[in-house]
Amino acid sequence: MKHTLFYSLALLALSLSSCKKYLTETPNNALPTGNAIIDAGTSRAAINGAYDAVQNYYAANYPTLGTITADNVVFNGTLSQYLQLDQNAIPADNVTTVAAYQGIYRAINSANSIIAAVPGVQDPLLTQAEKDKILGEAYFIRALSYFDLGRGWGGVQIQLKPTENFESLKGVKRSTLEQTYDQVLADLTRAEQLVPEDATTRNRVQKSAVRALRARLHLYRKQWADAAAYATQVIDNPKFSLVLPYKTFFTAPFLSPESVLELTFSVNDRNSFWNLWYPSSLGGQFTLKPSAGIVEKLNNPNIGGTRNALLAGSGASVYGTLYNTFATSTDPAYLIRIAELYLIRAEARAQLNDLAGAVADLNKVRARAGVPLLPEAGKENLLLAIEEENSVEFAFEGHRWFDLVRTGRAGAVLGLTNTDYWLFPIPYQDVLSDPDVTQNPGY
Amino acid sequence: MYHLSSRLLLFSLLLLLQVFAVAQQNVGLSGKVTDAATKQPLAGATVHIRGTTHQVVTNADGQFFFQTGQRLPVTYDISYVGYQPIQLRATTAQVEVSLQSNSGQLGDVIVTGYSTQNRKFISGSIVSVSGNALKDIPAAGVNQLLQGKATGVQVIANSGVPGGGVTFRIRGNNSINASVDPLYIVDGVFISNTDPIQTGLGNQQQSNPIADINPADIESIQVLKDANATAIYGSLGANGVVIITTKRGRLNAKAKISFNTYQGWSQPINKFKVTTGPQTALLTNESRINTAIDNGLPPGSVVLPFPNPDTLPTYDRFSGLFRTARTSNYELSAQGGTENSTYYVGLGYFKQESVVRPSQFERLSARLNYDNYLTRQLKVGTSINLARTQRNLSGSDNNPQGVINSALFPRSYLPIFNPNGTYARYGSFDNHLALIENLNNDAVGWRTIGNLYAEYTFLPGLKLKSSWSIDNTSEYENNYNNTLISAGIATNGSAASYETKNLVLTNEQVLTYIKSFGKGRKHNINALVGNTLNTVLSQNTTATGFGFASNDLTAVSVAATRSGSSSRAESKLVSFFGKASYTFDNKYTFDGSLRADASSKFGVNNQWGYFPSGGVTWRASQEPFIQNLNLFDELKFRASAGLSGNQNGIGSYAAQGLWASGANYLEQPGTAPSQLANPNLTWESTRQVDVGVEFAVLKNRLNVVLDFYDKYTYDLLLNVPVPNRSGFASYLQNYGAVRNKGTELAINTVNVETKDFRWTTDFNISWNRNRIEKLASDIAQGASGRNISILKQGYPVNSFQLYRQLYVDAQTGNAVYEDVNKDGGITSADRQIVGNALPNYTGGLTNNLSYKGFDFNFFWYFQQGNKIMNMNDFFLVHGGTQANIGFVPRQLERWQKPGDVTDIPRLTTSSLNPSVNGGPANNYGGNVANLSSRYLRDGSFLRLKTISLGYNLPTGVVQKARFSSARVYVQATNLLTFTNYNGLDPEVSSQSSNQNTAGYDWATVPQPKTIQAGINISF
Repeated sequence: MKHTLFYSLALLALSLSSCKKYLTETPNNALPTGNAIIDAGTSRAAINGAYDAVQNYYAANYPTLGTITADNVVFNGTLSQYLQLDQNAIPADNVTTVAAYQGIYRAINSANSIIAAVPGVQDPLLTQAEKDKILGEAYFIRALSYFDLGRGWGGVQIQLKPTENFESLKGVKRSTLEQTYDQVLADLTRAEQLVPEDATTRNRVQKSAVRALRARLHLYRKQWADAAAYATQVIDNPKFSLVLPYKTFFTAPFLSPESVLELTFSVNDRNSFWNLWYPSSLGGQFTLKPSAGIVEKLNNPNIGGTRNALLAGSGASVYGTLYNTFATSTDPAYLIRIAELYLIRAEARAQLNDLAGAVADLNKVRARAGVPLLPEAGKENLLLAIEEENSVEFAFEGHRWFDLVRTGRAGAVLGLTNTDYWLFPIPYQDVLSDPDVTQNPGY
Repeated sequence: MYHLSSRLLLFSLLLLLQVFAVAQQNVGLSGKVTDAATKQPLAGATVHIRGTTHQVVTNADGQFFFQTGQRLPVTYDISYVGYQPIQLRATTAQVEVSLQSNSGQLGDVIVTGYSTQNRKFISGSIVSVSGNALKDIPAAGVNQLLQGKATGVQVIANSGVPGGGVTFRIRGNNSINASVDPLYIVDGVFISNTDPIQTGLGNQQQSNPIADINPADIESIQVLKDANATAIYGSLGANGVVIITTKRGRLNAKAKISFNTYQGWSQPINKFKVTTGPQTALLTNESRINTAIDNGLPPGSVVLPFPNPDTLPTYDRFSGLFRTARTSNYELSAQGGTENSTYYVGLGYFKQESVVRPSQFERLSARLNYDNYLTRQLKVGTSINLARTQRNLSGSDNNPQGVINSALFPRSYLPIFNPNGTYARYGSFDNHLALIENLNNDAVGWRTIGNLYAEYTFLPGLKLKSSWSIDNTSEYENNYNNTLISAGIATNGSAASYETKNLVLTNEQVLTYIKSFGKGRKHNINALVGNTLNTVLSQNTTATGFGFASNDLTAVSVAATRSGSSSRAESKLVSFFGKASYTFDNKYTFDGSLRADASSKFGVNNQWGYFPSGGVTWRASQEPFIQNLNLFDELKFRASAGLSGNQNGIGSYAAQGLWASGANYLEQPGTAPSQLANPNLTWESTRQVDVGVEFAVLKNRLNVVLDFYDKYTYDLLLNVPVPNRSGFASYLQNYGAVRNKGTELAINTVNVETKDFRWTTDFNISWNRNRIEKLASDIAQGASGRNISILKQGYPVNSFQLYRQLYVDAQTGNAVYEDVNKDGGITSADRQIVGNALPNYTGGLTNNLSYKGFDFNFFWYFQQGNKIMNMNDFFLVHGGTQANIGFVPRQLERWQKPGDVTDIPRLTTSSLNPSVNGGPANNYGGNVANLSSRYLRDGSFLRLKTISLGYNLPTGVVQKARFSSARVYVQATNLLTFTNYNGLDPEVSSQSSNQNTAGYDWATVPQPKTIQAGINISF
């Protein structure tokens, strides 16, 4: 009897101690947060993850926000989220704006985690040069993310630390647009110091990509001289050129000399944005359709020139072909092309009254498209010509909306006179769950 | 071990002594047990001589026989499942006894958590449904068949797709993010109710995992509803428990072989209608002109898209979409037993086509239930269910590339075929015929539900049962999109192959003690203790391929581009439990239970949960003062309270801080933060109080069961939305509370009972009121990001948040909405809750009539008060805003000229000034964008679910054919529906893969209306 009791107790003790072990389960496809960035391998994985986050919002959502909202692309599908964007009647829970906003902050959180953890990683396999590269890329990604938030939503809440708990979020109010852009500038400055010099790479950040984004930032802030200066630094780099014919840059295998930064997709990491552009007879959904206006312009040899390669089909089913890898879904996300730098410099020079220089840059872009060169013109007309050139050159890239908002011309061009609607609404979820956020006016 | 073997020896010796004793005395007592109503012998009834250990079972002729030393008179206790037990004082050696069958529910011995108990003494709220009430209904899932049959249970088939998902709620929605489905137990096996199908069907729940069980094998179902009944299942019990008991043989019963079959033919209860070509053109022209006026252009400047609307043709897409669908069912079973073993073997084949081409469901099932008394003390047995299901899936019905959308949405003047004979496609939509002829989504599931047990009786009343169970679901899906359908055109064919495994392993030990003692056996104890170990494993491997040389090549392996992925999640649960019930003098019962559960899903700080319950029962009918009333045959009051828990429906690793892998870039591995740790995460708890009364009057002709309950679920496992600037969308926390309160009433009557004619009625009705008591912030979701469904404190779950359309201005024709915040404009702040998808009450009415050999029964189901969002109207009453979509006839009711009174506003696509209330922009677009109460409809309905007429062939004929019985019948299902709902079918929930987005009707297969003929034969 005594023995039985002893055995029972021993068994009970054993089962209780092994119970803890029995109840410990770990996933085979995710890392515990504590082990996320601890050595060379995980540091590299983390920066890949940050690029992946940028891919996620740039594959379809962000370019959609920059196109269907303006006049080159119209709604042709069934999903209300696109109808709302097309009509510029965007509720706070519009799926595309919410997904983009969410995706951008995910990228920021990844970047913040890297910026916080990678400097402390002690691993002989992770050289200082590689650490710098990873950190610089993270700073760039954070800069790009805040820039994209700023131009879409205005000044946003600035998070610079990885989120470890929700208490630490409290008390962060929305910044002004200037403050958001200041943060972008600070991060770009750090990034420029840290990322490697340009080599052949076009799908990871090197110095020129940082400078190009900086040129764009200065343009948005109307800092014309800086914009021109940084644009020049990129234009003068022989790594980049305006490719011929125009369609080369959006034709596989991509990564043409046109590209300052593009995010590469592959058959294992697919971008099926084409699906929204192609008609169902070709396997797409045809939600995004070139507007009659842009079709006319692109088909006009004096306006579109070889940029008519952006269109295919005929009659009622003309569709856009910028995203065209319907068999493989490997279209890149186009972030910065060299053509943009020419047009940035053209605009900056025009604003600085260097009209000859401006026309020269503008005509570089026109010449490549095979359309007649423009003679020198007055400043205002020249600026309008640059605006028009931007519209045609980047017909289906997410430029048009942001350009018209930036220049204050959205009312005149799009008829959207209520300037409240020039910013997207802060997601409904944030308004409900975040006492520190304020909604944009008019929503 | 030593003790065990010595005890075994002792028992063996006792057994031997008994045999000697029998041999010495050799006195015979015998009798025959029959059914009081049919006079048929009852095989397998248990006969026990009071005051002895002697117990025998009647043979196939209902005969029993004792060799005993007992002297007359003796008292027999005779019992038989489904009949009222009887005590008989026998003064002669030969007796004949007839047993009354339990017409109502009040007398049965029923299966409860880990034990069987007499219903009389149970303080929990449990409803039993006999397998007979469910057979021969042409629907695959047992859970679906419980619709309208049990109080407190709300069942809706989400669509008319055979084998498709079912919404099944016991006493309302307890949770928001954790599961709201009950625990299903089949013969003691905890089975998985996780949908194994990966192929998308819009947002519909793809399949009903319970459809793997053949309803014909089922003996009975108990639904455990209140805390006292479910607390013994602890963390698995909060949503109620459905215990399915399958048929087993009886000792000493001659083999009974049964063959059943039926054949059915189905049509949809309703078909889609769209406007004709000329009507569509007319509406389009009108919209174009109105838009020009709204935009300040002269109407004369408009170039009409259709100068001559009348000349347009109309193409009918629905005749090709619907079909007369066939259903076939065959069942063959054998049931019986020898002196120390029993068996049930069943085989079934069921095939059902969908009324919308091309889906279908097929099930082949086999069951073996076997028990063997190895010795008087040791019983071993097994229950094994094997099923193979095969589905032709029609993916993504509510997506532009789904079959129904492709038929419903394109404009009716557009031809189905191009002039060259190829399939024509418009806008986003595929061609429905191309899909019907080419869809190739094949899902084959293998399901094994098996249990092995051994039960050892130490002493009379003291038993130890150990059981080992497995539920293994293995689903293998192979999909191929060829180049003739939209999904395969771009990639030159695409294929996907999914292998999914859901495994549930359970081991349990239960020690039961049942004892009566004291003077006159007034004290009765029923107690048990036990433990379980439970493991749940889900695994999936997916391979996809693109680019095929030919449409005849469909294997992923030969695709030009291939990729794969996999997932795995495992969780474990350790439990200890005990319960005890004490009954005094057949009058008062007190019971209590306690369960302790530890789950691997929860944070290290809070793994254990404790779930107590208690209840009392008072059988007032045993009191002399009630007996003196001579009114009640049974009168029982019961009350219970307790806690149960919930951990289902959250991820296996939900408490851990994680970085997800797979965030790759440039073919290099990547990781990214995916989940914040919550080490305090713990059980969601449900506190429930239930009071009930049960009575039977008029010689048990009228039985009534009435229950009131109040269920409060707190510490909800809630995905609390967090600010997006955190980099996370939500955080799983224990936060929030939901309350369900309700009343349930069941009335069973025997209206007429004569020698030839019997008429019984079963009526039940359940009211449930759901309310979210506490929530961090509103959670809006549903309808592909339109966020029509909202969870909001103070309102029920499944509420709809919409702009309320007040009226259409008779002068301007523009819709006017309620300006909730009175700021003069219409913005998203003006959305409000305008109803919810939960019914106020549901119920059923069954009438069974039999006259001589004929039987006739009909069953009505009803529900009242739920709202349905008619998404088909939402899309097809669009005022012209959808250039590629046609119209439904409701659009013709639009406002046309001043003075028109209608709820459909003037056609226009103008988007100017969307915040102006009563302006044209919000008619169909603008800020309102159709998200208005205009498309929300009352979903109440009354439906004649089944009506059947059967005939039992006369005994003479049957015996001549060497059958023991034969019945032929005809039956109709879903024959009549009364409803104000304007869609095809009010029994619908198209977005059911998320429990919080109920009540949508969106390109969904309607219920079939079925006529069937069948035959049941026994040998």
